[in-house]
Amino acid sequence: MNTDNALPYHDTKPQGAPDFYYATNATFRFLLKKLGHDGWVRYLRDLGKGYYAPVNTQWRSGGLAAVAHYWRDFFAAEPGSKVEVDEKEDRVELVVHECPLIKQLRIGKREIVKEFCQHCYFLGQARANEAGMEMRLCGGNGSCRHTYAKSEVGLPPQDMSEIKEAQL
Amino acid sequence: MIGCYDFCAHYEWTFGWLDREGGHELVRAYWDEAINHDSQIHARELILKEGFEGMAKYWGHTLAEESPDLGFKITKKEEVFRVDMYDCPSKGFLLKNGLEQYPDYCDHCMGWIGPLMKEAGFTIDHEHNHCGQCWWDMRKQGEPDADVSIGATSGDSDVRLREEWAQDAAKVDAYRQANDPDDKVS
Repeated sequence: MNTDNALPYHDTKPQGAPDFYYATNATFRFLLKKLGHDGWVRYLRDLGKGYYAPVNTQWRSGGLAAVAHYWRDFFAAEPGSKVEVDEKEDRVELVVHECPLIKQLRIGKREIVKEFCQHCYFLGQARANEAGMEMRLCGGNGSCRHTYAKSEVGLPPQDMSEIKEAQL
Repeated sequence: MIGCYDFCAHYEWTFGWLDREGGHELVRAYWDEAINHDSQIHARELILKEGFEGMAKYWGHTLAEESPDLGFKITKKEEVFRVDMYDCPSKGFLLKNGLEQYPDYCDHCMGWIGPLMKEAGFTIDHEHNHCGQCWWDMRKQGEPDADVSIGATSGDSDVRLREEWAQDAAKVDAYRQANDPDDKVS
Protein backbone atom coordinates (compact mmCIF):
# COMPACT_ATOMS: atom_id res chain seq x y z
CA MET A 1 0.00 0.00 0.00
CA ASN A 2 1.25 3.45 -0.89
CA THR A 3 1.42 5.55 2.27
CA ASP A 4 2.69 8.74 0.61
CA ASN A 5 0.21 11.60 0.58
CA ALA A 6 -1.03 12.24 -2.96
CA LEU A 7 -1.83 15.93 -2.47
CA PRO A 8 0.64 18.12 -4.36
CA TYR A 9 0.73 20.92 -1.79
CA HIS A 10 1.04 20.56 1.96
CA ASP A 11 0.09 22.61 4.97
CA THR A 12 1.11 22.44 8.61
CA LYS A 13 -2.49 21.65 9.54
CA PRO A 14 -4.15 18.29 8.79
CA GLN A 15 -7.34 19.91 7.45
CA GLY A 16 -8.31 23.20 5.84
CA ALA A 17 -10.48 25.94 7.36
CA PRO A 18 -14.12 25.49 6.25
CA ASP A 19 -14.80 29.25 6.13
CA PHE A 20 -12.86 29.20 2.85
CA TYR A 21 -15.80 27.43 1.25
CA TYR A 22 -17.63 30.76 1.46
CA ALA A 23 -15.02 32.26 -0.85
CA THR A 24 -15.43 29.46 -3.40
CA ASN A 25 -19.18 30.09 -3.57
CA ALA A 26 -18.59 33.87 -3.78
CA THR A 27 -16.01 33.40 -6.53
CA PHE A 28 -18.52 31.45 -8.62
CA ARG A 29 -21.20 34.12 -8.11
CA PHE A 30 -18.72 36.83 -9.14
CA LEU A 31 -17.58 34.98 -12.27
CA LEU A 32 -21.13 34.15 -13.33
CA LYS A 33 -22.14 37.81 -12.91
CA LYS A 34 -19.09 39.30 -14.63
CA LEU A 35 -18.30 36.74 -17.32
CA GLY A 36 -21.49 34.70 -17.70
CA HIS A 37 -21.86 30.91 -17.65
CA ASP A 38 -19.36 30.42 -20.48
CA GLY A 39 -16.75 32.51 -18.64
CA TRP A 40 -17.27 30.56 -15.44
CA VAL A 41 -16.89 27.25 -17.29
CA ARG A 42 -13.74 28.56 -18.99
CA TYR A 43 -12.33 29.43 -15.56
CA LEU A 44 -13.06 25.94 -14.25
CA ARG A 45 -11.52 24.26 -17.30
CA ASP A 46 -8.41 26.45 -17.09
CA LEU A 47 -8.17 25.72 -13.37
CA GLY A 48 -8.47 22.02 -14.09
CA LYS A 49 -5.77 22.03 -16.76
CA GLY A 50 -3.46 24.58 -15.14
CA TYR A 51 -3.64 24.63 -11.38
CA TYR A 52 -4.25 20.89 -11.12
CA ALA A 53 -1.58 19.93 -13.67
CA PRO A 54 0.63 18.16 -11.08
CA VAL A 55 -2.28 15.92 -10.06
CA ASN A 56 -3.32 15.31 -13.66
CA THR A 57 0.21 14.10 -14.34
CA GLN A 58 -0.02 11.70 -11.39
CA TRP A 59 -3.31 10.37 -12.74
CA ARG A 60 -1.96 9.96 -16.27
CA SER A 61 0.99 7.92 -15.07
CA GLY A 62 -0.68 6.12 -12.16
CA GLY A 63 -4.09 5.41 -13.66
CA LEU A 64 -7.17 4.66 -11.59
CA ALA A 65 -5.15 3.69 -8.53
CA ALA A 66 -3.67 7.19 -8.49
CA VAL A 67 -7.13 8.70 -8.88
CA ALA A 68 -8.44 6.74 -5.89
CA HIS A 69 -5.36 7.54 -3.82
CA TYR A 70 -5.69 11.24 -4.53
CA TRP A 71 -9.37 11.46 -3.62
CA ARG A 72 -8.89 9.55 -0.37
CA ASP A 73 -6.19 11.99 0.69
CA PHE A 74 -8.18 14.94 -0.63
CA PHE A 75 -11.30 14.23 1.41
CA ALA A 76 -9.27 13.42 4.51
CA ALA A 77 -8.12 17.05 4.41
CA GLU A 78 -11.58 18.53 3.86
CA PRO A 79 -13.48 19.10 7.12
CA GLY A 80 -16.97 17.62 7.31
CA SER A 81 -16.58 15.18 4.40
CA LYS A 82 -18.45 11.89 4.40
CA VAL A 83 -17.20 10.21 1.24
CA GLU A 84 -16.44 6.66 0.12
CA VAL A 85 -13.86 6.11 -2.61
CA ASP A 86 -14.69 2.90 -4.42
CA GLU A 87 -11.94 1.60 -6.70
CA LYS A 88 -13.36 -0.83 -9.29
CA GLU A 89 -11.67 -2.63 -12.14
CA ASP A 90 -12.62 -0.10 -14.82
CA ARG A 91 -13.52 3.02 -12.82
CA VAL A 92 -13.28 4.91 -9.57
CA GLU A 93 -16.47 6.09 -7.93
CA LEU A 94 -16.68 8.77 -5.27
CA VAL A 95 -19.83 8.32 -3.25
CA VAL A 96 -20.36 11.64 -1.55
CA HIS A 97 -22.75 11.09 1.35
CA GLU A 98 -22.19 14.58 2.71
CA CYS A 99 -20.53 17.29 0.63
CA PRO A 100 -18.36 19.43 2.90
CA LEU A 101 -18.91 22.56 0.82
CA ILE A 102 -22.69 22.42 0.73
CA LYS A 103 -22.71 21.48 4.42
CA GLN A 104 -20.65 24.53 5.41
CA LEU A 105 -22.58 26.92 3.15
CA ARG A 106 -25.76 25.79 4.89
CA ILE A 107 -24.18 26.16 8.34
CA GLY A 108 -23.24 29.71 7.38
CA LYS A 109 -26.70 30.32 5.85
CA ARG A 110 -25.07 31.46 2.60
CA GLU A 111 -27.06 31.87 -0.58
CA ILE A 112 -25.64 29.05 -2.70
CA VAL A 113 -25.04 29.62 -6.40
CA LYS A 114 -27.63 27.36 -8.07
CA GLU A 115 -25.08 26.09 -10.60
CA PHE A 116 -22.67 25.26 -7.75
CA CYS A 117 -22.66 21.47 -8.20
CA GLN A 118 -21.88 21.75 -11.91
CA HIS A 119 -18.40 22.93 -10.94
CA CYS A 120 -17.46 19.39 -9.94
CA TYR A 121 -18.30 18.19 -13.44
CA PHE A 122 -16.63 20.94 -15.48
CA LEU A 123 -13.53 20.85 -13.28
CA GLY A 124 -13.44 17.07 -12.91
CA GLN A 125 -13.92 16.46 -16.63
CA ALA A 126 -11.13 18.90 -17.55
CA ARG A 127 -8.79 17.18 -15.11
CA ALA A 128 -9.80 13.70 -16.24
CA ASN A 129 -9.33 14.58 -19.92
CA GLU A 130 -5.79 15.75 -19.20
CA ALA A 131 -5.13 12.30 -17.77
CA GLY A 132 -6.76 10.36 -20.64
CA MET A 133 -9.95 9.73 -18.68
CA GLU A 134 -13.56 10.79 -18.49
CA MET A 135 -15.55 12.02 -15.52
CA ARG A 136 -19.30 11.96 -14.98
CA LEU A 137 -21.44 13.33 -12.17
CA CYS A 138 -24.84 12.37 -10.86
CA GLY A 139 -26.76 14.05 -8.03
CA GLY A 140 -25.75 17.13 -6.12
CA ASN A 141 -27.11 19.55 -3.54
CA GLY A 142 -25.26 17.77 -0.74
CA SER A 143 -24.82 14.20 -1.96
CA CYS A 144 -23.68 12.87 -5.31
CA ARG A 145 -21.63 10.28 -7.20
CA HIS A 146 -18.52 11.04 -9.28
CA THR A 147 -17.26 8.47 -11.77
CA TYR A 148 -13.75 8.47 -13.25
CA ALA A 149 -12.91 5.99 -15.99
CA LYS A 150 -10.36 5.57 -18.76
CA SER A 151 -11.62 7.10 -22.02
CA GLU A 152 -11.76 3.68 -23.72
CA VAL A 153 -14.44 2.50 -21.27
CA GLY A 154 -16.90 4.67 -23.20
CA LEU A 155 -18.94 6.25 -20.44
CA PRO A 156 -22.17 7.76 -21.85
CA PRO A 157 -22.10 11.53 -22.32
CA GLN A 158 -22.81 13.68 -19.27
CA ASP A 159 -26.50 14.40 -18.89
CA MET A 160 -26.54 17.85 -17.31
CA SER A 161 -30.08 17.30 -16.05
CA GLU A 162 -28.64 14.65 -13.71
CA ILE A 163 -26.78 17.37 -11.80
CA LYS A 164 -29.06 18.94 -9.21
CA GLU A 165 -29.32 22.63 -8.51
CA ALA A 166 -27.87 23.61 -5.16
CA GLN A 167 -29.89 25.48 -2.60
CA LEU A 168 -29.77 26.53 1.02
CA MET B 1 -14.32 19.50 -6.28
CA ILE B 2 -12.44 22.55 -5.11
CA GLY B 3 -11.07 22.06 -1.62
CA CYS B 4 -10.29 24.32 1.31
CA TYR B 5 -7.07 22.57 2.35
CA ASP B 6 -5.16 24.22 -0.52
CA PHE B 7 -7.48 27.23 -0.73
CA CYS B 8 -4.72 29.83 -0.65
CA ALA B 9 -3.06 28.19 -3.64
CA HIS B 10 -6.07 28.18 -5.98
CA TYR B 11 -7.15 31.58 -4.63
CA GLU B 12 -3.78 32.98 -5.71
CA TRP B 13 -4.01 31.15 -9.06
CA THR B 14 -7.40 32.82 -9.53
CA PHE B 15 -5.88 36.30 -9.13
CA GLY B 16 -3.56 35.56 -12.03
CA TRP B 17 -6.41 34.17 -14.14
CA LEU B 18 -8.58 37.22 -13.50
CA ASP B 19 -5.68 39.54 -14.33
CA ARG B 20 -5.19 37.82 -17.68
CA GLU B 21 -8.94 37.79 -18.34
CA GLY B 22 -9.88 41.33 -17.38
CA GLY B 23 -6.81 43.16 -16.11
CA HIS B 24 -6.15 44.75 -12.74
CA GLU B 25 -9.63 46.26 -12.50
CA LEU B 26 -11.20 42.81 -12.56
CA VAL B 27 -8.87 41.63 -9.79
CA ARG B 28 -9.76 44.68 -7.67
CA ALA B 29 -13.46 44.11 -8.33
CA TYR B 30 -13.07 40.48 -7.26
CA TRP B 31 -11.47 41.40 -3.94
CA ASP B 32 -14.16 43.96 -3.19
CA GLU B 33 -17.30 42.36 -4.62
CA ALA B 34 -16.66 38.64 -4.12
CA ILE B 35 -14.55 38.71 -0.97
CA ASN B 36 -15.54 41.86 0.94
CA HIS B 37 -19.22 41.96 0.00
CA ASP B 38 -19.94 38.22 -0.26
CA SER B 39 -17.50 35.70 1.19
CA GLN B 40 -16.67 37.83 4.24
CA ILE B 41 -20.15 39.04 5.17
CA HIS B 42 -19.58 37.61 8.65
CA ALA B 43 -16.62 39.99 9.04
CA ARG B 44 -18.65 42.89 7.62
CA GLU B 45 -21.51 42.36 10.03
CA LEU B 46 -19.18 42.35 13.04
CA ILE B 47 -16.98 45.29 12.00
CA LEU B 48 -19.72 47.55 10.64
CA LYS B 49 -21.79 47.06 13.80
CA GLU B 50 -19.16 46.83 16.50
CA GLY B 51 -16.01 48.56 15.21
CA PHE B 52 -12.91 47.58 17.21
CA GLU B 53 -14.86 44.98 19.20
CA GLY B 54 -16.02 43.41 15.94
CA MET B 55 -12.46 43.36 14.61
CA ALA B 56 -11.33 41.56 17.76
CA LYS B 57 -14.08 38.97 17.38
CA TYR B 58 -13.47 38.43 13.67
CA TRP B 59 -9.69 38.22 13.69
CA GLY B 60 -9.62 36.43 17.01
CA HIS B 61 -11.67 33.62 15.46
CA THR B 62 -10.25 33.62 11.95
CA LEU B 63 -6.58 33.77 12.84
CA ALA B 64 -6.98 31.14 15.54
CA GLU B 65 -8.63 28.83 12.97
CA GLU B 66 -6.11 29.46 10.20
CA SER B 67 -3.06 29.81 12.46
CA PRO B 68 -3.56 27.50 15.43
CA ASP B 69 0.08 27.99 16.43
CA LEU B 70 -0.85 31.62 17.09
CA GLY B 71 1.72 33.17 14.80
CA PHE B 72 0.17 36.59 15.38
CA LYS B 73 -0.58 39.14 18.12
CA ILE B 74 -3.65 41.33 18.47
CA THR B 75 -3.38 44.65 20.34
CA LYS B 76 -6.55 46.59 21.12
CA LYS B 77 -6.41 50.11 22.54
CA GLU B 78 -8.96 52.88 22.76
CA GLU B 79 -7.79 54.56 19.55
CA VAL B 80 -6.36 51.64 17.56
CA PHE B 81 -6.82 47.98 16.68
CA ARG B 82 -3.60 46.29 15.61
CA VAL B 83 -2.53 42.93 14.22
CA ASP B 84 1.13 41.89 14.16
CA MET B 85 1.47 38.86 11.92
CA TYR B 86 4.61 36.81 12.44
CA ASP B 87 3.82 33.79 10.32
CA CYS B 88 0.94 34.35 7.89
CA PRO B 89 -0.76 30.98 7.31
CA SER B 90 -1.94 32.08 3.88
CA LYS B 91 1.27 33.51 2.40
CA GLY B 92 3.16 30.86 4.34
CA PHE B 93 1.32 28.11 2.45
CA LEU B 94 2.43 29.63 -0.87
CA LEU B 95 6.03 30.08 0.26
CA LYS B 96 6.28 26.54 1.65
CA ASN B 97 4.94 25.10 -1.58
CA GLY B 98 6.85 27.38 -3.96
CA LEU B 99 3.70 28.86 -5.56
CA GLU B 100 3.54 32.23 -7.31
CA GLN B 101 1.10 33.01 -10.12
CA TYR B 102 0.33 36.62 -9.18
CA PRO B 103 2.86 39.43 -8.56
CA ASP B 104 1.77 40.37 -5.03
CA TYR B 105 -0.54 37.94 -3.26
CA CYS B 106 -0.40 40.07 -0.10
CA ASP B 107 -2.34 42.88 -1.84
CA HIS B 108 -5.53 40.83 -1.60
CA CYS B 109 -5.86 41.65 2.12
CA MET B 110 -5.90 45.41 1.46
CA GLY B 111 -8.11 44.61 -1.53
CA TRP B 112 -10.99 43.52 0.67
CA ILE B 113 -10.15 44.91 4.12
CA GLY B 114 -9.43 48.41 2.77
CA PRO B 115 -12.91 49.05 1.30
CA LEU B 116 -14.57 47.40 4.30
CA MET B 117 -12.71 49.65 6.74
CA LYS B 118 -13.57 52.71 4.67
CA GLU B 119 -17.24 51.81 4.89
CA ALA B 120 -16.90 51.23 8.63
CA GLY B 121 -15.17 54.58 9.18
CA PHE B 122 -11.56 53.46 9.65
CA THR B 123 -8.25 54.03 7.85
CA ILE B 124 -5.33 51.65 7.75
CA ASP B 125 -1.60 51.92 8.31
CA HIS B 126 -0.08 48.71 7.05
CA GLU B 127 3.16 47.11 5.86
CA HIS B 128 3.90 43.66 4.46
CA ASN B 129 7.28 42.19 3.66
CA HIS B 130 6.20 39.43 1.23
CA CYS B 131 7.73 36.83 3.53
CA GLY B 132 4.66 36.11 5.68
CA GLN B 133 5.02 39.02 8.07
CA CYS B 134 2.90 42.18 8.23
CA TRP B 135 1.26 44.64 10.59
CA TRP B 136 -2.02 46.52 10.51
CA ASP B 137 -3.16 49.56 12.53
CA MET B 138 -6.83 50.43 12.15
CA ARG B 139 -7.90 53.88 13.39
CA LYS B 140 -11.02 55.99 13.05
CA GLN B 141 -11.11 58.24 10.00
CA GLY B 142 -10.21 61.84 10.74
CA GLU B 143 -7.85 61.10 13.62
CA PRO B 144 -4.69 63.21 13.54
CA ASP B 145 -1.52 61.59 12.22
CA ALA B 146 -0.85 58.55 14.32
CA ASP B 147 2.44 57.37 15.73
CA VAL B 148 3.28 54.28 13.67
CA SER B 149 6.90 54.06 14.75
CA ILE B 150 8.25 50.70 15.81
CA GLY B 151 6.81 49.58 19.13
CA ALA B 152 4.46 52.57 19.47
CA THR B 153 1.29 50.44 19.50
CA SER B 154 2.28 46.89 20.33
CA GLY B 155 5.56 47.40 22.18
CA ASP B 156 7.82 44.37 22.16
CA SER B 157 5.27 42.46 20.10
CA ASP B 158 5.82 44.68 17.05
CA VAL B 159 6.67 42.39 14.14
CA ARG B 160 9.24 44.93 12.91
CA LEU B 161 11.44 44.06 15.89
CA ARG B 162 11.84 40.54 14.57
CA GLU B 163 15.07 39.58 12.92
CA GLU B 164 13.29 38.27 9.83
CA TRP B 165 11.33 41.51 9.23
CA ALA B 166 13.78 43.77 7.44
CA GLN B 167 16.19 41.50 5.68
CA ASP B 168 15.55 43.65 2.63
CA ALA B 169 13.77 46.94 3.37
CA ALA B 170 13.14 47.52 -0.33
CA LYS B 171 10.82 44.53 -0.34
CA VAL B 172 8.44 46.06 2.21
CA ASP B 173 5.20 47.57 0.85
CA ALA B 174 3.76 50.35 3.01
CA TYR B 175 0.39 52.08 3.29
CA ARG B 176 -0.45 55.16 5.41
CA GLN B 177 -4.02 56.10 6.30
CA ALA B 178 -5.14 54.10 3.29
CA ASN B 179 -8.15 52.10 2.14
CA ASP B 180 -7.16 51.22 -1.42
CA PRO B 181 -4.91 48.33 -2.45
CA ASP B 182 -3.16 50.57 -4.98
CA ASP B 183 -2.32 53.35 -2.51
CA LYS B 184 1.14 52.13 -1.55
CA VAL B 185 3.53 54.81 -0.38
CA SER B 186 6.51 52.51 -0.96
